[in-house]
Order: sequence, then structure tokens, then C-alpha cells
Amino acid sequence: MVKLKKNELDRLICRLAGSYDVYAPVDIDGNVEFARVSSAEDMDQSRTVTNLSPKEIFFPKDEVLFEYDADGIRPADSMDRPIAVWGIRSCDTKSLMLLDKVFGSAIQMPKEERFQDPYWKKRYDGALLFGAACAEPLSTCFCNWFGGGPFATEGMDVHVTDIGDAFLLNPVTPRGEDYLESLDFTAEVSESDRKAAAEIAGSAEAVMSPPVPIDGLDQLLPGLFLQEEVWGEVSAACINCGACTFVCPTCHCFDMQDEGRNEKGRRLRVWDSCMFPIFTSEASGHNPRSLSRHRVRQRVMHKYSYYPVNYGEYLCTGCGRCITVCPVNVDIRRTLLKLMTHDGEDG
Amino acid sequence: MSVEKELRRTVKDLLEEGGIDLFIGWERGSLPTVASPLFITDPVDAERLIFDITCGSNPAVYFTKDRRQFDGRRVGVVLKGCDSRSMVLYIKEKQADRENVVMVGAQCNGVLDRGKVASAAGGREILELEDDGEKTVTLKGRDYEIAVERDSILSSSCLSCIHPDALECDHFIGEPRQSVTREQRLREVREFEALSSTERWERTRHEYEKCIRCYACRNVCPSCYCAVCFVDQNDPPWIGGTCEFTDSMIFHLVRNLHVAGRCVECGACARACPMDIDLLLLNRKVAMEVLERFNDEAGMDITAKPAMADFKEDEKQDFIMG
Amino acid sequence: MSEWQPRILAILCNWCSYAGADLAGVSRIQYPPSIRVIRVPCSGRVDQLFILKSLQSGFDGVLVSGCHPGDCHYISGNYVARRKFALLKPLLEFIGIEPDRVQFSWISAGEGERFAEVITKITEDVRKLGPSKRLVKKT
Repeated sequence: MVKLKKNELDRLICRLAGSYDVYAPVDIDGNVEFARVSSAEDMDQSRTVTNLSPKEIFFPKDEVLFEYDADGIRPADSMDRPIAVWGIRSCDTKSLMLLDKVFGSAIQMPKEERFQDPYWKKRYDGALLFGAACAEPLSTCFCNWFGGGPFATEGMDVHVTDIGDAFLLNPVTPRGEDYLESLDFTAEVSESDRKAAAEIAGSAEAVMSPPVPIDGLDQLLPGLFLQEEVWGEVSAACINCGACTFVCPTCHCFDMQDEGRNEKGRRLRVWDSCMFPIFTSEASGHNPRSLSRHRVRQRVMHKYSYYPVNYGEYLCTGCGRCITVCPVNVDIRRTLLKLMTHDGEDG
Repeated sequence: MSVEKELRRTVKDLLEEGGIDLFIGWERGSLPTVASPLFITDPVDAERLIFDITCGSNPAVYFTKDRRQFDGRRVGVVLKGCDSRSMVLYIKEKQADRENVVMVGAQCNGVLDRGKVASAAGGREILELEDDGEKTVTLKGRDYEIAVERDSILSSSCLSCIHPDALECDHFIGEPRQSVTREQRLREVREFEALSSTERWERTRHEYEKCIRCYACRNVCPSCYCAVCFVDQNDPPWIGGTCEFTDSMIFHLVRNLHVAGRCVECGACARACPMDIDLLLLNRKVAMEVLERFNDEAGMDITAKPAMADFKEDEKQDFIMG
Repeated sequence: MSEWQPRILAILCNWCSYAGADLAGVSRIQYPPSIRVIRVPCSGRVDQLFILKSLQSGFDGVLVSGCHPGDCHYISGNYVARRKFALLKPLLEFIGIEPDRVQFSWISAGEGERFAEVITKITEDVRKLGPSKRLVKKT
């Protein structure tokens, strides 16, 4: 572990910017989201949870996959520098690991069955993630339901604790360790620094509500699939907008769109949402998920049943963004509790 | 008697002997700033009802969501002034049957804007909110407590509301309120109009560039209930589904025009927007044009034909080439 | 290099304005070659979306033309259209789009001469504004 004085942060960011595209939380007109920065001054590190998740860095809202014209097909401009992120929370680094299982095929699978998304991989592989410890978890934070916590380090390369006048940089991966070793402006960590960090960690843990045990939820949910009434109840207030899915760090459904005119065009990948009726509209006009309750069920099933069956863990990291952003206060924690305590009988 | 108490009693009576099968209202949400819509069938649950500054969405919208639940049922709903205009619109447009709706108007002192309240708290988390209903709202967090001026955190639609009281209702709870004048309501539109064309364009661009196309504005809007929205028609698509500025802008412009003469300026869209886009300005401009040109305001007169489905033969046509 | 020529989309109703354009053609009346025509059954068919989409795809101007008030083949299509157009123009101006880029006219089947005048006028109006930029999608 090394110490970085706060007035040296800018030096670190500038140094990173020398070889990486550096992203950090930035206040854009009142919304804090991850954006390119070139100095520490651009950042806003005050929020525990940013308005938009950093998944956008690795999986953009709209992404041109290739362009074509009469001369042929050209891949979209490829990025030549790796990505570094400063100030990413543990719920968000964990979400990137979950997305990597889908796009990067980062799971044990026979080689011939693996699919690796080149667009994701070129960004995520080689990225250097400076994670930020959460000194002040929010009431909407429930990362501890999924084994996380305000001081979790999963998915980070370097874990950063703010101790007031300095940051403690703790390497998590060899990549993080190598980078820290290359810095010549860090200081040694004293015993009192460690104590300060431990105190912050302790008080952060104390703020979190105790986790609700959700083991076995993935096994329970398929049994509820056909129970229309309970889904009607949990989705009653939902207006079926896509706000929750778009701020979610783990939602990753997308749509392919072709834009072409005359002799040139391009193919894009854009975010999609299972909350929209068109998500499952079939060419015949039939929609297997025509009702709001069916779409809400899909979102819950995907996160807490289908994904766990395929990849062994829940597709949710408890960041709480969906709770904060919902115009009608549909709280995923209440939804899960409701489903878990449902007696299994319809009506 | 407080508005909330009277509301609970009224709803309990309605469910017990007033012949309604379902009531739509609000209960305290899991966050102190947003109430959660509540659907009750059991009179006992009337005790859960609240009606305050956090009841921000427009409950009329549920009449066009899962329609099955309303089939053959008599439904009660608590309404702010703007919400009642949406219900009037629905009755005119045959989306709700006046006979089967019991409209309960309640005294509305405005609802809060989440963006404004968040910045009033300086980005710190709000854990408790106390509203004196008149001048001050107190925000409390883990290590702070601040009193803010009520008007400073109200939704801009409420600050310029010309009809705070439900227009058409079967029961009214609380005291009628003063409304602002038409001129006050249009202040922001006038100020914007006074800017140069380039400035207007730059500001519009700045706002709408934030759009992430989540369609919260559309889905929370009672006036947006097309079975298939034009942005959901994809064979071929009318406009791209990307967040590229012109795609987003055209979505919003067309939405504005499609709800022209039907938008009741409840501001639910602006409050629902996760990116805090000032969506109401364009709606207000269009509403102003509708009033000036066609002498109509959405959801005001239950017998009048909606402005865009109507016409007069000798209407002003100054914009037609000479 | 030749001078920049505006590209204008003309959305014409089948019964009056399209026939007016036809008459202008068979009468050999001269007008600027700046328009591309789309024929619609009635001006009432034109959603504001058509106009905005045309601007997005790069047209420098859009003209929508229908039958004179009282002459609509479908009795009232042009009256309904008129209300829609009445709102679009001020809204575009409000957000900072040049209002002259989008224009409306009534041209009957017998007004070949007038058709030529309208096209000349809108071409000149749009030429003054220069190429459209603000709502054009960049690809």
C-alpha cells in the first residue's frame, strides 16, 4: 500500500492521461456521470453513487460497429489507448465483472462455445480501475445483499481510501501493483494512516443496514413464473419506462440498428430495455410480454434467476440506482422481499 | 381535519359503501422524496394513504396502462388539479367512463422537483423531509438539517399552475387555492422567446443532449397512450433509437406536438426525467399557441372537442404562403 | 464550382397541389429545379414527424401544400392539417430553427402558375438561409 497526498492527485491523473484515456466522475449540469478527464480539477468525487453508471465507458449507449459504402465494409474507428477509471465504486467494478461474463466470456466454458465480444474486450481487457472506498454509503445501497460492501475490492486494480488529506492506494491485482510501483511521487503509509482507514471502514460498515439473505432466490423464482397475481402486485405502480434499466450497471440488453441511405451506412448497437413493449414484439404483431407485469417479471427473472443459473451469481450489485431514479418509487428490494415471502399460491 | 385524514375517511367510506371497487392513491415510498402509487381494494388500507408534496406522478396514467384491471370496476382516484384535467381528457377521449370513475380532488400545495431538492441538499442524501405546507421544507440527512424555502424546491409546473384545484370532481378535500395568472405562467416562455435564435438553439441543444432515451417522460405522461408509439415502430423506423442529438430532439418535438392541446402541464415528465431535462418549456410553448390560436386548454371542458381534432373554417392562417 | 442549390422536399396532396404541379409541368412553366416531390392522399395525412424527419435527413427546406380551404377532397383534411402546421412553425422558431425552412401553401389543380411562384419563393427563402445545419443528423 502507498499513500498519495491529495495535492498529488492531479499529477497521477496527468500521468495516467499520458498513456490511458482517463475517466472519472464529472458533474455535467447537475448529473454526475463518468466522463473523460484530463486533470483532477474536472472531477466531482462527492457522490457515493453517480447518477449514471460507468458501464457506459465500456458498453456505450450507442456504438458504431461498422460502416459501409460502395467500396466495402470498414470497422468503426478503433480505440488505440487503454482505459483508466478513477473513482469507481465496488458495486460498479463488480458489475463490470458480471458484464465480462457475458461479453468477454470470462467463465469456464469449452473454448469452441465461447463468444467474445471484440468491442467489449478491447475496452475492458487492459483497463486500469482505481476503485473508491465508500465512506458514506447511502440508504439505497444494498451491495451487502450480494456479498459486497463499502470497502469491497472485487473487480478493482487498485483500491483507494480517502483519509482526509491523502489517498491510500492499495493494489488489488498485479496490474494495479505494477502501476503503483511505477509511481515516484507516492509516500509510505504510516500506522496512523492505516488506523484512519480502518476507522472509516468501520463507520461505513456500521451505516449499512444488515443484509437480507437471498440465497436460493434463483431457485425460488421459476416456481413463481406463472403466478400472475404476485407479478401484478409488484408491478402495479410501474409505468414501464426504461429509466431503471438505463441507469443499471448490469443491464446489458441491446438492439442492433442499421442506418443507411444511398450507398453508405452504418450498423449501431444501442441500449435496449426489457421494459419496452417493442423489446419482444414479433413480426406477426404478437407480443409474448404484452403486459407490464410480464416485462417486470422478465427483468426480475433475468437478474435473479436466469443469469445466476448460467453464470453462478446474481446480476445485481445493489448499487440502488434503480431505486433512486424510479419516478413512482418501485423499490427492487421491496419487490424481492415480496417475492421471497410469497406463499406460492395464486389468489 | 387535515387533508390526509379526510382523504382516508372518504376513501374508506367509498370502499365500504360508496360502490367503488378500487382506489388509486399514494402511500409513503421507500425514499422520503417520492411517494409510491397505491392501489387499494380493502377499506382497511385507506389508512396507508398520504397526500403531500411527494405525490408527484399523475395517477390518471394508470387508466391507460393495464386496462384489464379496470374492466367492469368502479374506480376511485385522488387528483391534484392537473391530474383532474388528465381525467377530463380521458373521459373526452373515451379512455375512462365518467360513470365508473369517482374523482376525489384534494387540496394541492404543489409537488417537489427531485432535481431541485437534490441540489438544495447539496448532493447529500436526504433521509427525512418535513413540509409545513406553506413556506418551509426541512431536509434532514445523516449529519445535517436544513430548512429550505418551499417554492425553491417545487416543480416548475406547480409554480406556474393555473388550476391547482381539481376541476371536475365528485368530492373535494381541503380548501381551494389561489392560482397564478396566465402571465406568470408564461414568464419562462416569454423570457426564452426574448433570446436570440442562436441562443435558443444552444440552450435547447444543451438540454436535449442529456436525453438517454429511457422514455420515462413518455410513459409517465397520461396524454401519451398510443398502443404503439412512433419511436417503437421499427419496420422501417421513423427515427433512430440512438442518443444522437437529432434523434432525441425529434422524439421530443414530435411528442410535444402529439400531445398538443392534450398536455395538461402537470410536469410529471420533467419530474420523472432521470437526466433532469427541462421538458416543460416546450410543452408550455405549445399550450400557449393552442390557447392563443384555438382558444382551448387541455382537459378544462369536459364537453369540448380536443383542439387538434377540431377546426374552424375561418381560422387565422398567417403562416400559409401568400 | 457551381453555386449551392437548396434541396427542398415538397409534400403535395394528390387532388390539388400535385395536380397543380402537373399543370405547371405540362404548361412548360419555368421554376427552380430545387424540389423533390412526395405525393400524399391529403395534406391531413402529413404528420409533423414527416417534416422533422426530412430536415434530419438533410433537406434544406420542406414545403407542404394542400387544397384551398373548402376544397378538400375529404371535406376537412386540410383544416385539420392547418392546425398541426400552425403549431409546428412557432415551435421550430422557439427552439431556434429558421422558420422559413418549413412552409405551407394552398395550391389548386388549376394553379400551375401559382405552383411555380410558390416554388420560386421558397427556393429563394431557403437560399438566403443557406444550407440547413441545426437539425441535420451527422453520420
